[in-house]
Amino acid sequence: MSDGTPAGTSRHKRSMFEPGTGIDDLKAFMEPFVARLGYKFNTETEFVDEVLEAELEILERDGDIYCPCRVRSGDPKQDAQIVCPCIPFYRDEFARIRKCWCGLFILADVEDGEELLGVIEEPEGPIDVPAFALADLPSGQIRHIKIGKRDIAVARVGDEFFALSNVCRHAFGPLGEGLMDGYMAMCPWHGWRYDVRDGTTDHPNADVRTFETVVRDDFVFIRI
Amino acid sequence: MLIKLYALSTCPYCRMTKKFLDEAAVDYEMVEVDLLEGTEREDAVAEVRRISGGASFPVAVIGEEVIVGFNKKRIKELLSL
Repeated sequence: MSDGTPAGTSRHKRSMFEPGTGIDDLKAFMEPFVARLGYKFNTETEFVDEVLEAELEILERDGDIYCPCRVRSGDPKQDAQIVCPCIPFYRDEFARIRKCWCGLFILADVEDGEELLGVIEEPEGPIDVPAFALADLPSGQIRHIKIGKRDIAVARVGDEFFALSNVCRHAFGPLGEGLMDGYMAMCPWHGWRYDVRDGTTDHPNADVRTFETVVRDDFVFIRI
Repeated sequence: MLIKLYALSTCPYCRMTKKFLDEAAVDYEMVEVDLLEGTEREDAVAEVRRISGGASFPVAVIGEEVIVGFNKKRIKELLSL
């Protein structure tokens, strides 16, 4: 590190859960968050309690609610990606297996979570990755989302949804932090304009990739 | 056949795998990685990463095959249960 901080530590001290945090506290804390990611608690309530009990043991032992099924590396940045709920870091992987790695959370449209416990079956072909609840993406807005290694910008024009590469081909500005003008996304850095319907721009050889979107259950999904 | 199970003491799928192997009366060696300390733990994590490409558990090594997660069907096939 260049700031003189010893490796593995941070200038910011991380805050942790209050001592005495219980299963019901975790449920109440996680439920509204994962709902906005397109997930819900597994329908197998005993299994949910078992996983959360394990997380509370880990909280006591390691200081945070790390995933009970994965091991910490010791690098705080990397380990932040296995703190529960970890869905934003593995959106594509989890959408493919229809649950988080542990199965604590399942996609909102899965009726019977029991079937997903155990074997991890990865279907062939494209998958729909939940991106935003429709209410979280008002018309005329564009937002960035990380889906696996892909950086994608999702735009809404009226009730139409579009997804394109988040990276402007000019100076690599983040289109998802930019502004919308009709169907045009304007890069926040220098105003390069992309048509969100097909990723085209007036600049030569600068078109960006687009992705198919699907709307169902008040969510916009990106087909990967 | 040599069977080795890398597990975490906290992981529900690891428990399911252990239970399944125990009930099938299969002999296996188990390493509970999160209960190890120091270099023993580092070595075990490195080994899991090397053979499975990640650090997700359980990882079962059955003969030449490495199975990540509790894949009852595949374990049954490999052990002819």
